[in-house]
Amino acid sequence: MIPLVTFRLSGYVRSHRIFQPLVGLLAVLSIIYATGVPAGGELPSYSDSAGILMLVFAWGARGLLDNEPDEQRLIAITAVGRRRELAAGLLAALLLTGALALVALVFPLIVGFAATPGAADLGYGAGLHLLAVLAGTALGALTSRPVLASPAASAAVLVGGYMAILLLSSASPWASVPVLDWMNAAHHHELPDRAAVIAASAVAWSVAGLAGYAAVRRVRG
Amino acid sequence: MRATNVSFRYRRGDPWVLSDASLDLAPGAVAEITGPNGTGKSTLLRLLAGLLRPVRGRIDERPAVIGYAPERFPADQPFTVAGYLRHMAAVRRVAVPEELTARLGMDHLLGQRLPDLSKGSAHKVGLAQALAGEPGLLILDEPFAGLDVTARAELAVIVAEVAARGGIVVASDHQGDLRTVPGVTRYEVRDGKTTRVARVVEDDPPTTLTIKLPKSKAEALAARLRAEGHEVS
Repeated sequence: MIPLVTFRLSGYVRSHRIFQPLVGLLAVLSIIYATGVPAGGELPSYSDSAGILMLVFAWGARGLLDNEPDEQRLIAITAVGRRRELAAGLLAALLLTGALALVALVFPLIVGFAATPGAADLGYGAGLHLLAVLAGTALGALTSRPVLASPAASAAVLVGGYMAILLLSSASPWASVPVLDWMNAAHHHELPDRAAVIAASAVAWSVAGLAGYAAVRRVRG
Repeated sequence: MRATNVSFRYRRGDPWVLSDASLDLAPGAVAEITGPNGTGKSTLLRLLAGLLRPVRGRIDERPAVIGYAPERFPADQPFTVAGYLRHMAAVRRVAVPEELTARLGMDHLLGQRLPDLSKGSAHKVGLAQALAGEPGLLILDEPFAGLDVTARAELAVIVAEVAARGGIVVASDHQGDLRTVPGVTRYEVRDGKTTRVARVVEDDPPTTLTIKLPKSKAEALAARLRAEGHEVS
């Protein structure tokens, strides 16, 4: 499976489509950290970064999964089997979005933060970005070509789905991936108390999304 | 491998592409799938390859190692021919098919980028990746289309070799090149059914042909002719 993951990532990078999420990532980071973050504001900034970048992660994951032609996907299925081909695509997407998240974590340490955050804030920041990686990858997979063949419908559902997640997450942490909830908790210094619920909800929604993608692929190939 | 009463349609409510189609393919079988355009030959090949699931019926005893060459090789990929074959060999956990690329006459293409290839050259790349790793089931969708004469003859020999070591070969073929392979069974797909077509026994008595050629090439030609089912002395 690892050679197929390497093949997928290599094809994505060589096609230069990686610049699409990279441009989005750098634009978001520039806006968040352009004016600098005073000491004590690191975790709220990380929470905003994770919440906004979820859309960029979804965009990147969808781009990677849609990068190879459909016939190449069929060749890969005959080569390694349906389950491994599916898992390799998702693993490649997770590695891509994970790398983007790593840039988002390190970037402000160099140019944004007035003070280096403590280990706890760094850990919560990394955890929130991990949740955004999972949820973004699931959203990207659910809007990829095997699920939504029309590029226009795919783009509309990707952006619309993200907006819906934001709106629903204001109602309850369980109503959708709790993006607004984790932003709100970080800004009010309540993240340690609510982290378990936020993580459980985000992981549950992400797993449900990835399971839905796997179910569609099982039928449509 | 056995396909029993396989029926398939792409969506509920659509007309059936295949209806109660059956095939029995023993190890070493070579099946030529024929039929008019749009009758479901490619669909049948994808079902046999495991790329589609039958809506009804079942396909049993499919060999573990499958090679699949689609009708149109997806050349829109950012790799050279050598890079692509290297990646696919790693994916299949087999050696890079250097002998195959030589036999298919594509060594001069190895440094070229896939999107720059002609249709026939791209088709050879698709065949090379499918043939790598000694597949137990080789599915070829119009494998001879766009190939030069030398490659067509060599591909028929390769198919015979795959069958000789026990592999099953199923190929759609409008050109008829597969009929040079000994023991090929012809199936016609029509109206959703597969029908085994009886081999046409032509009044074609054997004759003796004397060939003069350089001694260094004699052994290779003899092997190729034997693989095509001819008697060589």
